[in-house]
Amino acid sequence: MCSNKKPAEPIYVILGSGGHTAEMCKINQALMQHDELKQYQNIRYIVANSDETSQKKMRSALPALKDSDFIRVPRSRSVGQSWLTSIFTTLWALLWSCWLIWRDRPQLVLCNGPGTCVPYCYAAYLWRLLGRLPGHSKIVFVESYCRVETLSLSGRLLLPLVDMFVVHWPALATRYGHKPNLRYFGRIL
Amino acid sequence: MNLTVVYVTVGTTKFDALINAMTSTPVLHALQKLKCKKLVLQHGNSTPVADSEIQLIHEKYSIQVDQYKFRPNVEDIRTANVIIGHAGAGTCMDILNNGKAGLIVINDELMDNHQMELARQLASEQYLYYCKVDEISIKIASLDFGALRPYEPATENMQTFMAALNELMRH
Repeated sequence: MCSNKKPAEPIYVILGSGGHTAEMCKINQALMQHDELKQYQNIRYIVANSDETSQKKMRSALPALKDSDFIRVPRSRSVGQSWLTSIFTTLWALLWSCWLIWRDRPQLVLCNGPGTCVPYCYAAYLWRLLGRLPGHSKIVFVESYCRVETLSLSGRLLLPLVDMFVVHWPALATRYGHKPNLRYFGRIL
Repeated sequence: MNLTVVYVTVGTTKFDALINAMTSTPVLHALQKLKCKKLVLQHGNSTPVADSEIQLIHEKYSIQVDQYKFRPNVEDIRTANVIIGHAGAGTCMDILNNGKAGLIVINDELMDNHQMELARQLASEQYLYYCKVDEISIKIASLDFGALRPYEPATENMQTFMAALNELMRH
């Protein structure tokens, strides 16, 4: 494990809109309560520029957080944005995720389904392959609570590459039971 | 169980069939029998009920109908005895997290809506009920809203997840 003198590599928690953030707040509260090894102290929260509520929600769930724990990033696509311009904004968001992951070398990328999390997981996967991230770094995806029988688009994109993929409901657990990285603990919320 | 205050919510959807059903004769009859005094309709993008009809309902069933498009609904949820709503995850969670009795109504016009899966799952575990639009009056009359299970956060499962996460991070 990491020594106490050197600050541990950060943990990246990717926040997204509405229900996703509400679920992530609960996961993070549990993370803080179960952090006996103090390995989850250095958490950076990734929030889209246009997202006004996620930061507030997370700060009221965990009052010890500071504004500097949050990293503002460009959003890949806003609701109603035209297809053509969204190609450029998506590329821009992708570049940002690659740069941030390269810079901070997170030991864990934890996310639960908003579209914004996809490039961060791919970037972490890629930089780990190329040796920029430590070999022991992990990517963990928690599927949205409202996904009972089918995976979300983010889920389908990320199932092949994440180290742990958590589902809440038995139907999904059975359907994807052959995937070694899929875990089912019952509903966790 | 008395249904003194019933809150109907469709979120941001357009669900005319639900709004119409809630102000139809069989449903109002069923509500009246269960001593309903107030019906709050959050109609979202559905067509609102005509003022003349609201007046009529008040005269005939002595049920006061309040309706609005959108507003913060914490108070509406808190004061309701029963919540009747669309299958949105937000509505399901509002019902469960506030310990309310709930009846989720399927919107047939939204095919392949994955949110229906959640309502069905939660109903199969007796946290809420769900039905079709044309069943609302029968369900209101016959369902035992007091028999629903209280929803509690699955703390133990969350701990198992945290243990698995710790385990994963060690390797």
